[in-house]
Amino acid sequence: MNFTGDAISLTSVTKIFQTGVIKRKLAVEDLTFTVPRGEVVGLLGANGSGKSTTIKMILGFLKATRGEILVCGHSAEERMARSFIGYLPENPRFQRFLTAHDVMKYFGKLLGMRGDTLERRIEYLLELVTLKHVTKERVHGFSKGMTQRLALAQALLNQPPLLIFDEPMSGLDPLGRKEIRTLITRIHDEMPESTMFFSTHILADVEQVCSSVILLKQGRLKRQCTLDELLSQSDQRFELLVRNASPSLEKKYLGSAESRMSAGGIQITVQGADALAARLFEIKTDGATVAGVDSQRKSLEDELFGDTSFTPPPGVGLNAEKTT
Amino acid sequence: MNLNILRIAWIAVRELLYERVFYILLCFAILALGLSLLLGQMTYIEQYKLTVDFMVSAAEISMVLFSIFAGIALFQRELTMGSVSMTLAKPISRTTFLLGKFVGQSLVQMAMVGGMLALTLLVTSAFRHPDVGAMAQTFWLIGLESIVLTSLCYFFAVNSGATTTAIISLCFFGLGHLRESITENADHGSATFQIWRVVKNLIPDLEVFNTKALASYGITISSAELGWALVYCFVCVTFFLIMSALTFNMKDIPT
Repeated sequence: MNFTGDAISLTSVTKIFQTGVIKRKLAVEDLTFTVPRGEVVGLLGANGSGKSTTIKMILGFLKATRGEILVCGHSAEERMARSFIGYLPENPRFQRFLTAHDVMKYFGKLLGMRGDTLERRIEYLLELVTLKHVTKERVHGFSKGMTQRLALAQALLNQPPLLIFDEPMSGLDPLGRKEIRTLITRIHDEMPESTMFFSTHILADVEQVCSSVILLKQGRLKRQCTLDELLSQSDQRFELLVRNASPSLEKKYLGSAESRMSAGGIQITVQGADALAARLFEIKTDGATVAGVDSQRKSLEDELFGDTSFTPPPGVGLNAEKTT
Repeated sequence: MNLNILRIAWIAVRELLYERVFYILLCFAILALGLSLLLGQMTYIEQYKLTVDFMVSAAEISMVLFSIFAGIALFQRELTMGSVSMTLAKPISRTTFLLGKFVGQSLVQMAMVGGMLALTLLVTSAFRHPDVGAMAQTFWLIGLESIVLTSLCYFFAVNSGATTTAIISLCFFGLGHLRESITENADHGSATFQIWRVVKNLIPDLEVFNTKALASYGITISSAELGWALVYCFVCVTFFLIMSALTFNMKDIPT
């Protein structure tokens, strides 16, 4: 399956949902971006920022109110465009009575595959997603992680040049997330020419998998850049938890605005990697212990998810005194 | 025929066999056998006719409910639950998906009608030699009626929610049988009647498929009437499926 140009191209795409007789909701506004071939691109944004709407428009499930969407050179509304796509939905569901093998065979046949080629591909993919041992089991009893891996396997059946994953790690436990992340990386290593486009609201997933990102905020394109550009511009902060500090060090830290005493020890906020190294050296020299280090990219989170700080009016906060 | 329609139809057949058909047939069998025993104690002379009447009516009600509720479960639930997204993400058209589901469900319904006919013949043969021809015709027409209702149900399922689809489909079933009676008995001078005259044309005449009263007397209808019923079924199904496909193709699928 060859094509020329970008894997995905959106030009001035707007989507308005008719939510009532008169009421309308603007989901995506004037979205323009491209996803070049062979890249792993993350579509990043908070819940409700328009990620899923954008993906569903690319897949042709939703019709754009305005604008043009091209998938591998074909209009997203053409059936042909979908032959280039392997899709993993956010919450994959299969007919409960089908076995893992049945599911793969069904989707393979819909893609026009058959015979030994299909069987070999099914065998390989079920092994890839570590589901070979449950090939003949009904998907009814599958865990969320297993269902997700099976959905990933069916997306790879015809070795599509464009893989679209909608929140692939959503709802998974840490182990499940790690498995899917590893699989995505492995798939890209094995199919380096394929383009991967996936949506997420988890920054860590983007950092570990993507080469570039598209940031959406409230249905608008906030920024499209490489991951390196994004990370270099973000303001990285570290939260250190220090125990057994000497009185002099304790006095020094507690005297600064960046530190405070907590039940577990002294909590220190450090800006940037260089400052972190200096602090760690200081703590080690003092003989104190570092009980924990937490990394945060504050400015990036603020940019994506907005300012979430909220000051309640007097008397109505969670800690407000009860009145009789 | 597009092979993908058959692939989707085969999955639909398996889904219906796995989840629903067995219970419907079991209910029908228990009701039929139980009632025929009860009726057998109530009357002696009309035993055969009563049993045939009862079983034909039971078959019709079962098939009407099955065609509507299985249609909702098979087609609409897949849209609302999101399992449709992986199928439609493949290079197949929405019309193929819709037709696949419809063909699968219709095949199951005709097989069910066949099963019910066999059961009715078995039960009624306990009283006397059954009128196979008359009963086969009646059950065949019940099957055609259920297919028309399925296409109607798909049309509403594309456009509305599960409850609305069920209510409207059942209303169409009722009105489809009563439309001529309503027309005859209405006040022809009233303004409401003028509206009814327009509305009536949008409701399929399901009396075309109704030979229930004849089955117990062993009366068969002519092949011309049978042929007309088949043509009428084909026209109704084609109309509703084209309308469903047109709407389905324009519709956003937000799952």
